[in-house]
Amino acid sequence: MSEIAKKAKVEVYPPQPVPTPPTLTKRLILNLMPPVILGIGVIIAYALVRNSLPPHRQFLMPSAGGLWELALGLPDFRRELLARTGVTIGIALTGLAVTIPTAIAVGIIMFRFYTLEKAIFPFLVALQSVPVMAIIPLIQSALGFGLAPKVLIVVLFTFFAIPTTLLLGLKSVDKNILNLFRLQGASWWVMLRKACFPSAAPTLFAGLKISGSLAVIAAIVSELFFLSGEGGLGQLLMNSKIDFKYEQMYAALIASSILSISVYLLFNWLGNRLFSHWHESSEK
Amino acid sequence: MSSSPQTPMEAPAPGGNAIVFDNVSMTFPDGTEGLKGTDLAIRPGEFVSVVGPSGCGKSTLLKVASGLVRHTGGEVWVDRAQLGYTFQDATLLPWRKVIDNVALLMELRGYPAAERRRIAQEKIELVGLKGFENSYPQRLSGGMKMRASLARSLALNPAVFMFDEPFGALDEITRERLNDEVIEFYTREGFTGIFITHSIPEAVYMSSKVVVMSARPGRIVAQFDIPFAYPRHPDLRYEPEFSKLSGEVSKALRAAIEG
Ligand SMILES: Nc1ncnc2c1ncn2[C@@H]1O[C@H](COP(=O)(O)OP(=O)(O)OP(=O)(O)O)[C@@H](O)[C@H]1O
Ligand SMILES: [Mg+2]
Repeated sequence: MSEIAKKAKVEVYPPQPVPTPPTLTKRLILNLMPPVILGIGVIIAYALVRNSLPPHRQFLMPSAGGLWELALGLPDFRRELLARTGVTIGIALTGLAVTIPTAIAVGIIMFRFYTLEKAIFPFLVALQSVPVMAIIPLIQSALGFGLAPKVLIVVLFTFFAIPTTLLLGLKSVDKNILNLFRLQGASWWVMLRKACFPSAAPTLFAGLKISGSLAVIAAIVSELFFLSGEGGLGQLLMNSKIDFKYEQMYAALIASSILSISVYLLFNWLGNRLFSHWHESSEK
Repeated sequence: MSSSPQTPMEAPAPGGNAIVFDNVSMTFPDGTEGLKGTDLAIRPGEFVSVVGPSGCGKSTLLKVASGLVRHTGGEVWVDRAQLGYTFQDATLLPWRKVIDNVALLMELRGYPAAERRRIAQEKIELVGLKGFENSYPQRLSGGMKMRASLARSLALNPAVFMFDEPFGALDEITRERLNDEVIEFYTREGFTGIFITHSIPEAVYMSSKVVVMSARPGRIVAQFDIPFAYPRHPDLRYEPEFSKLSGEVSKALRAAIEG
């Protein structure tokens, strides 16, 4: 006993003052610094790779100056970029407007009827594994060149994540919460509205976040084979590549990334607003 | 949602009892016998604790009594019109504030909003959660959550109140305080109580009758009348008569476990 006591290493631990909540500027810096630093790293890497290219291949990676002089600096092009971004947003949102309600309905139906879950789920997985790119020409032949084929492509891309996450969330509601409702003779519909759906909402939201960012990518992909008319960013990408306007192509790429990230951040923000007061997954 | 082959008929329980189990058995779909040949009669206004080995069918007994599952043999008489039920954990809806949790059952029963609010407020004060009406459950301690859960059941003014090991997860001091609070509600509201517990002192302290169940499939193998008057004082736990009764229950329980 005493030998153990002799060997014990006593240390003194000073108290830690109560942390003051970080100010808004400090929080902004904390949140923005990591991505900004990484972004600078990416730009440096881009410059290094670009400089290592032989001059006749440097057109593949436009410089910042070129990007400005031949693309973003031109008022006409800026206007075009904005308009096309609008078109892309339009396709993505129309697609989501179709996907979200249908996908939620499919999730709820699968939850309600076990046999339908067994029936539908394999087809959802099959649908997910279809290489959408490969069937675009098929969709084109079937639906023509209007908005419908593009919306369908967005739906194909964005559908899967929603019923699967919703079903998972609906199924993992606390059994005793359901018992509580049963004891009051609550109907299935009331249980869905007041117990299952709120409990599943954060999981569903994770699915919506994935679908939201996929919708932008899908809207761009949906245009790669539709090169006529007033299209969106996808059309700009293809056309500027065909015309060797690599600066404009990069500008379109940047715009589409910004769009994807914005959609993701929007859902993130919305999710935090909706769930942070009760769900552990959301950040404070 | 268990669909039942037969709809229950209105019939007074034999002997003027509040709850009667007559030769009840409960076999789960996988063949597990949860209850077999269980007989139990509880008079109106009695507070009965049920002790028994783990897995013997105590929760099953309550689920059958409350109608959450339908028994497979024998007959059950119970008035489920105003049923209180607390689970082993508080089972609060994490997305609702305390006050909205307490109001939940009234909401499901279609009480008007103003009345819901008034009663919820009253019960929150009764369980000592005043000031936490607008907190979310996440912010409450284990004991506070259990209090909110009790308030939620009390709001319906239950005639029969079933407790499935409600305080098993709490520390002893909180547990003893909540024991006294439940006794207070019991003496004030006069419901019929069935209280499942693993703690023999808790069973003896709270009840007017302690019932011992056998190992699975659970039957009632011993009953003890607890003669102490209500309301009970915490010092009762140190009286020789209390120790003697606890010892007897304990012995019966050991016999039940050993079979
Ligand atoms: N849905 C079910 N299907 C099959 N067997 C079940 C089911 N629910 C409970 N059982 C079994 O019935 C028996 C009694 O279960 P019950 O939950 O009533 O025990 P208990 O006495 O409450 O135990 P504890 O004290 O540990 O809570 C157990 O052996 C359990 O495995
Ligand atoms: Mg149990």
